[in-house]
Amino acid sequence: MEAASISTPPAHHEHHGPPEANKSSSVDAQTLGMLLFIISEIMVFGGFFTAYFFIRVVNGNPWPAEGEELPKIIAGFNTAVLLSSSLTMHWALEAAKHNNRKALKAGMLATLLLGSTFLVVQINEYVHLGFAPYDSAQASIFYGLTGLHGAHVFIGLTLLLFATIRAFRGHFSAEEHRGIEVPGIYWHFVDVMWVIVYASVYLL
Amino acid sequence: MPAQLKAPGWYRAGAFILLGLAFCTGLVTLIRSLYGYTPLIDGEAITIVSMIGVPLFFLVGLGAFDYWFYWASGKDTRPEDHASHGAHSWRDYFKVNTDHKVIGIQYVCTTFFFMFIGGLMAMMVRAELAAPGSQFVDGQDYNSLFSVHASLLIFLFIVPVFAGLANYVLPLMIGAPDMAFPRLNALSFWMLPIAGTLMSISFLMPGGAFASGWTAYAPLSTTQPLGQMCFTIGVQFAGASSIATALNFLVTIITMRAPGMSFWRMPLLVWANFATSLLVVVATPFIAASQFFVLLDRSLGFHFFDATIGAGREGNVIMYQHVFWFYSHPAVYIMMLPGFGIVSEILSVKSRKPIFGYRMMAFSLLAIVLLGFTVWAHHMFVSGMQSWIRVPMMITTAIIAVPTGIKIFSWLGTMWKGVLHLDTPMLFCLGFLTMFTLGGISGVMLAMVPFDIHVSDTYFIVAHIHYVLFGGSLFTIFAGVYYWFPKMTGRMYSQRLGKIHFWATFIFFNATFAPMHVIGIQGMPRRVADYAEQFAGWNMAISVASFLLGLSTLLFLYNMVNSWRNGPEAGSNPYRALTLEWQVSSPPPIFNFDEIPTVVGGPYEYGVPGAQHAILGGRKPEPVAVGAVASAVSDADTETEES
Repeated sequence: MEAASISTPPAHHEHHGPPEANKSSSVDAQTLGMLLFIISEIMVFGGFFTAYFFIRVVNGNPWPAEGEELPKIIAGFNTAVLLSSSLTMHWALEAAKHNNRKALKAGMLATLLLGSTFLVVQINEYVHLGFAPYDSAQASIFYGLTGLHGAHVFIGLTLLLFATIRAFRGHFSAEEHRGIEVPGIYWHFVDVMWVIVYASVYLL
Repeated sequence: MPAQLKAPGWYRAGAFILLGLAFCTGLVTLIRSLYGYTPLIDGEAITIVSMIGVPLFFLVGLGAFDYWFYWASGKDTRPEDHASHGAHSWRDYFKVNTDHKVIGIQYVCTTFFFMFIGGLMAMMVRAELAAPGSQFVDGQDYNSLFSVHASLLIFLFIVPVFAGLANYVLPLMIGAPDMAFPRLNALSFWMLPIAGTLMSISFLMPGGAFASGWTAYAPLSTTQPLGQMCFTIGVQFAGASSIATALNFLVTIITMRAPGMSFWRMPLLVWANFATSLLVVVATPFIAASQFFVLLDRSLGFHFFDATIGAGREGNVIMYQHVFWFYSHPAVYIMMLPGFGIVSEILSVKSRKPIFGYRMMAFSLLAIVLLGFTVWAHHMFVSGMQSWIRVPMMITTAIIAVPTGIKIFSWLGTMWKGVLHLDTPMLFCLGFLTMFTLGGISGVMLAMVPFDIHVSDTYFIVAHIHYVLFGGSLFTIFAGVYYWFPKMTGRMYSQRLGKIHFWATFIFFNATFAPMHVIGIQGMPRRVADYAEQFAGWNMAISVASFLLGLSTLLFLYNMVNSWRNGPEAGSNPYRALTLEWQVSSPPPIFNFDEIPTVVGGPYEYGVPGAQHAILGGRKPEPVAVGAVASAVSDADTETEES
């Protein structure tokens, strides 16, 4: 990811490379790009929450639909799993900043493990819920919102997997750790979004 | 395995398409066998999954992800060799290329290709409407024609062609060597032909192409034949492309401006794309969400919009329109603001005067961005939503005309007592000013609830949107393409043909769309293949004018192709413009600048004694470029004499 933008030409270059771009902002380009991407991700969730609002509030449908029940406790446990993965993610980043390779690898592995646990528990929940997305509009919303979030967990895990592979192959240092930091921001976003989804779908 | 199949390119892409088809077929069949569904092979399910999966395989095969896969595998970082940067032959335009100039031309050519397809469909629509009764298509096919026409022209032409023009000139204008994320830029371009192909091949689907309009209202769209999925999935690709490009523009503008280029020294085209990109990043995800709902409802039996499954568990139909218009109203500004930027550039250069009210021009763009999010439900006055929402929406819609009016008057102020050069780009700008003002006025009329109820779903609406999208957006696109054609190709187009093209477009455009106001108010419904006898005369006249309008675009095509091949050398700065893209050779060197220029003043100081926009330092590789620097300096001097 760090080489995805225009690279600096070497001092004695054979071929004619691009001039070094002026840095007109103190914000790092990769970080800014990720933040903007997260804004658009929030808006995708916003679309799904609009559907939630219309079906639950405007229609005034009972939540969940009659005969459907949501496993608040298990999902609450799952929330704790996901939130703790944010802590391990932060640990990994701090380790990278301090050149502590052992802790970096351990932190990345722990994050991957916790994130995968969350996904497995979520899929297991789908299997045992006892209702399907086509049973009611509420069920559609439930599967839509949690499924959308699950897809984001999957994307986040994929990004983290790449970063983990690179961490194990000797990349990243105190000077260059954006490859950990940027997917890390995304991972924190996925966690925060889950708290909102959990609160509005399971608790409220 | 032959080497051709290993290297990124079209051979590998072809192989990956086959691989993708096999994968999607296998996946669907596997899932169906696990669930025990019969029949095991379901053509429709396989088609839908393939429409999502095969394009991704295609992109991998073409090489859009090669670097990222390499990165993810964790091997040593390769020094950048710029192998995929810049075009050395026409073949390079058909590859994944990271040069923003190549991508810009890829964009413009692709989008104009789809403009001609979409335009052809408009001709077929007008042929059907030339006389009352049924001519040569039935109702469903007619609906398909105008649906694909609108979808192609909106999602594959107007939205992305602006991204293409800006891709070419924006990094040059702000003094950057390229976009912030060149590989993402290449990926977002290559998603466009995918979206266009999906929408175009929907005619081959059983049951015909999608026929629910470009708005695809549920529950109509959730009960349509398979072709509807081409729209639903095609829009996802176009939307993803749009978001990725917007993000790229924003990061480029924020982090890569040349030294001295503060926000208040940016050319207004850069401002316009900054504003547009904000809109895209925030609004476009909503159309993605709306099409996810349609996809899930239609193919997996979800009930987001199903109001018939019983009280207490029903979906909400109006919700589709809210989610859709929350994107699609800001989208009309996505389709207009970059055009405002183009017009600001051209009017100032061609009037040889500083732009009038530069800061207000920038602020009014931002005002439109903010207000653009508060007006969406004015598309829904007759939808049956809560009626109290109509009043605030009417008021905000009337208010949004104010920043637009500021721009119109600022452009008039720019031209006031200027030395007008009435060449082709300028003529299109003037055409835009008049036509867009007319479209704006009918827009304010439509904001008024009582009038809107009267003309809802009539030809008045058709007239309005074509006055803003054709008379507005397309005129600025023509202006922009003519204006930057010498920069992109190094050659000058024929002014004579260009002017004939303008006058033909201007006259036949009005002959086509102005009468639609009249028959609209008289009550002719839109989106219907047949109409009452009393409208026969006007419709025949409209159809004839529209065919001539269609023919006039061939002049443009001929002028562009012929001038690209045989046109005279244009020189680096044929218009004596001050902005940075004109200070380098035409076409610009492969990495834009040898040394990043230093900006010392505003971009529009035409005729201001001693004013200078930028200093280009460093050794120049070619004599042409040396001349460019000299003319940049002497330009400021001649400006002084001129005024």
